[in-house]
Amino acid sequence: MSDHIDGPRSVGDPVADITDLFAFTSPDNPARTVVVLNVFPGAGADAIFSNALEHSIGIRRVAVAGMGDAAKFEAADEEIRFSCRFGVLERDGPDSKPVQRGTCTLPDGRTLPVIVNDERGTATPDGVFRVFAGLRSDPFYLAWNVGLMRKTPNLLQHDNVLSIVIDLDTRRVLDPDKGSLFGATGETVPQPRPGVPVGHEPPRIDWVGRPEQTNVRLNNPGMLHTVDLRDLWNQQTPFAIAPEVRPLFLQRLRESFENYDMRDGKADWTPAALAANVNVFLDDFLLFDVAKPITDQSHLEIEKSTINGKPYQTGGGRTPDANSIDILLTWLVNRDREFLLGGANGPTKPATKVFPYLASPNTELQIVAERIDLAVPPDKVWALIGPFGGTWNPLVAAVQLTGTGVGQLRTIETVDGKQIVERLEVMDDTKHFYRYTNISGIPVSSYTGLLTVKPKGGGCTVEWHAQFLANDQATFIVKLIVSTLFRVGLDSLPARFGAKK
Amino acid sequence: MIDSPDADIGCYSVTDGEIAVINLGSARRRSWGRLARDPTATGVAESIVEQEHMAAQFLGDLGTIERLEALAMHLARVDAMSPRTALIQARVASTTHRFGEARIYLARAAERGASAEALERLTLSIDQACGTQLDALLVARRSMAAQSGSLEDLVPLGALLADLREFDEADETYRRALHAYRDVSPFAVAWVCFQLGMLWGELVDEPHEPRATSWYRRAIAVLPSYVKARVHLAEIRMGCGRPDEAESLLIPALASSDPEVRWRLADAMRIQGRLDEAGQQLAAARSGFELLLEQHLLAFADHGAEFYAGSGNDAARALDLARTNVANRPTLRAYEQAYSVAVGAGEPEAAIELLASATQRWGGAAAFRRSRLATCRTHSISEGGST
Repeated sequence: MSDHIDGPRSVGDPVADITDLFAFTSPDNPARTVVVLNVFPGAGADAIFSNALEHSIGIRRVAVAGMGDAAKFEAADEEIRFSCRFGVLERDGPDSKPVQRGTCTLPDGRTLPVIVNDERGTATPDGVFRVFAGLRSDPFYLAWNVGLMRKTPNLLQHDNVLSIVIDLDTRRVLDPDKGSLFGATGETVPQPRPGVPVGHEPPRIDWVGRPEQTNVRLNNPGMLHTVDLRDLWNQQTPFAIAPEVRPLFLQRLRESFENYDMRDGKADWTPAALAANVNVFLDDFLLFDVAKPITDQSHLEIEKSTINGKPYQTGGGRTPDANSIDILLTWLVNRDREFLLGGANGPTKPATKVFPYLASPNTELQIVAERIDLAVPPDKVWALIGPFGGTWNPLVAAVQLTGTGVGQLRTIETVDGKQIVERLEVMDDTKHFYRYTNISGIPVSSYTGLLTVKPKGGGCTVEWHAQFLANDQATFIVKLIVSTLFRVGLDSLPARFGAKK
Repeated sequence: MIDSPDADIGCYSVTDGEIAVINLGSARRRSWGRLARDPTATGVAESIVEQEHMAAQFLGDLGTIERLEALAMHLARVDAMSPRTALIQARVASTTHRFGEARIYLARAAERGASAEALERLTLSIDQACGTQLDALLVARRSMAAQSGSLEDLVPLGALLADLREFDEADETYRRALHAYRDVSPFAVAWVCFQLGMLWGELVDEPHEPRATSWYRRAIAVLPSYVKARVHLAEIRMGCGRPDEAESLLIPALASSDPEVRWRLADAMRIQGRLDEAGQQLAAARSGFELLLEQHLLAFADHGAEFYAGSGNDAARALDLARTNVANRPTLRAYEQAYSVAVGAGEPEAAIELLASATQRWGGAAAFRRSRLATCRTHSISEGGST
């Protein structure tokens, strides 16, 4: 995953774990640039920022210092830095919804207060900066088993992250007349306890430049039995990898890149070009040029063209919709000979064209589960309720079946005239269960139902379970409808078979 | 010895306890959702096990046991032959103290090619919980802690040293764990503070209550929802003649499903003369313990024994449960508890039998010589002497 859960140290501390960094031209206003730092992989619907961390984005002017096999990007010492901190939850009263506020310190020293999850964000009075902080749909998508180079569905489907979105006036903040190429990094660093002298640099928890430095390039899942260098990498200072560990990282990247090159059995990289690629990726910052177009396809173009010995044509960067993992794998495995498309064409939700650009958060999976114990053997009960087209539920007026076996559709007409269409996914008459999905009639997505009869003592237990992603407004109503359907159905069974004593 | 926890908890802030608990719940629900979408997704079931353990350990959410068992059953159905399923089954069995079953699952995981490190870690945990092969265990724990220097390895080493009654070294190890911690999760810090509270409040021969109190207070300050820390501190405050303080500590923990909260609350109310309220809380505690014991006897046998030997007021049941615990995990501490319960129950023959069994199993260990059991004599038992 991009930088999701990228080291043993961050596994227990997900709110400090950076998932991604983006830099792109605002789709709403080409005169503005947007940088985004995401944290907390797999954040749930009520996730909030840690109040113990400083979340920073650093941007430095970069120069092309070499081309071809001598490709090199050099970052300036001067940094344009944004740092955001968040507070504890605040409540106006005992029953009021808690609010989290934060403060973003801007490169010019001003501070901008933000209210977490306020989609309008906060802008400086002069309009130079606008900042949002809060939960969004995770824009990253990974649809590969990278170790085996096997396509998968998007492993981050329906995931959320906590985002910090900074929208800035390109000319007034970045001053592209002095050079339009930049490198960006993001980091999370713990804050010292109030009043406690520290005496040394705080230990960095995580940082990120280009996507996948840790989980794909340094910790290549296709290379077994290698030492995990991710925590060591995360403790390095962005733009300044310690000289004593550079050889270690160079060696690991070289081995990793050689491994990727041979994943398709073909050597697309000469040793010199591969070494240049290693050198470029070791200097890990997200390159973007604000004077050139940054598109969904331009990610890594600056690096690739420079290594190929040509002037770059685009603004590189990384948009939220950029297919960054496929772009990267294609480059590492076959040097752009043939595009490697993973098992998904996009993230859960595409980015929006307006502030804060990242799509609204995904809703939680909802679960309805009902059960009943009966005093008869499972076979007997299954004979009644097992057929997919059965009409044993008192709330069902009629069922019409279309097709046979797995894939079969049932159109249920309820006693109050509603129509629900469901598809049979798995049927196991031996183990007494079937699984189905909803096609229409229930206003939710990803609805899966499971009806099971399990032996219990001399009798059995009937379990009926459904899960779905509900729209916020519909959640309660849908849960009520589904649980009523289940409960009435199950409650009708004892009269036929006798409840368990 | 410095008694101020502040000197030990490092230079950096940790995330506010309320935020961390919200985020744990948030991540936990999200993990279940991911599992539902992709039942065999790499790492998701493992995350659920971690998150559910944390909910049980810190928030007293005992519903985690049902959820973990459901997870193990679910994996057995969708991914029956994988090493990770056997490993998770082993972890779930171990959580509910079904150690024999856990070892069978571990063997199965090994056959299916589970990673040696994962197998070793879980084997060590089970050995430690059962008090087996402690010498080898200590060597392994020391080695792991020396290698990583991390809190995750130092705390189990501290706990083992405490089991071996090497209290000063345990204390030093826990403090080292706090110093080594560089992250912002309050759970880890609260965990170590709680362990230090236990060490000085309950495990040492002569409890040092001010020290234990300051560590429990620190654990609660870092993580206000830490149910066990509240319960243990409440016990100390009651012992100091402050049942009102104990009650204040326990009220916020009432939402948890841990019956020990209601038990201690009943004690605090009784001491304050509010007998009706105390009776209601005690009935709720009894019903909670009974439910847990009915469903997960091995997991709660020691807690049940403690309850029935105390306010639960059923010495025979307490002894029965303490014996069950000894049979399942014959640690020195389990023997100490069972012996004490037997004496309290006026069952000298049972006490003699337990002492003989403990001596046979632990007599050669240095920890036994430092244990209360080593100074017990069978004649003093039969004469009704105390432990």
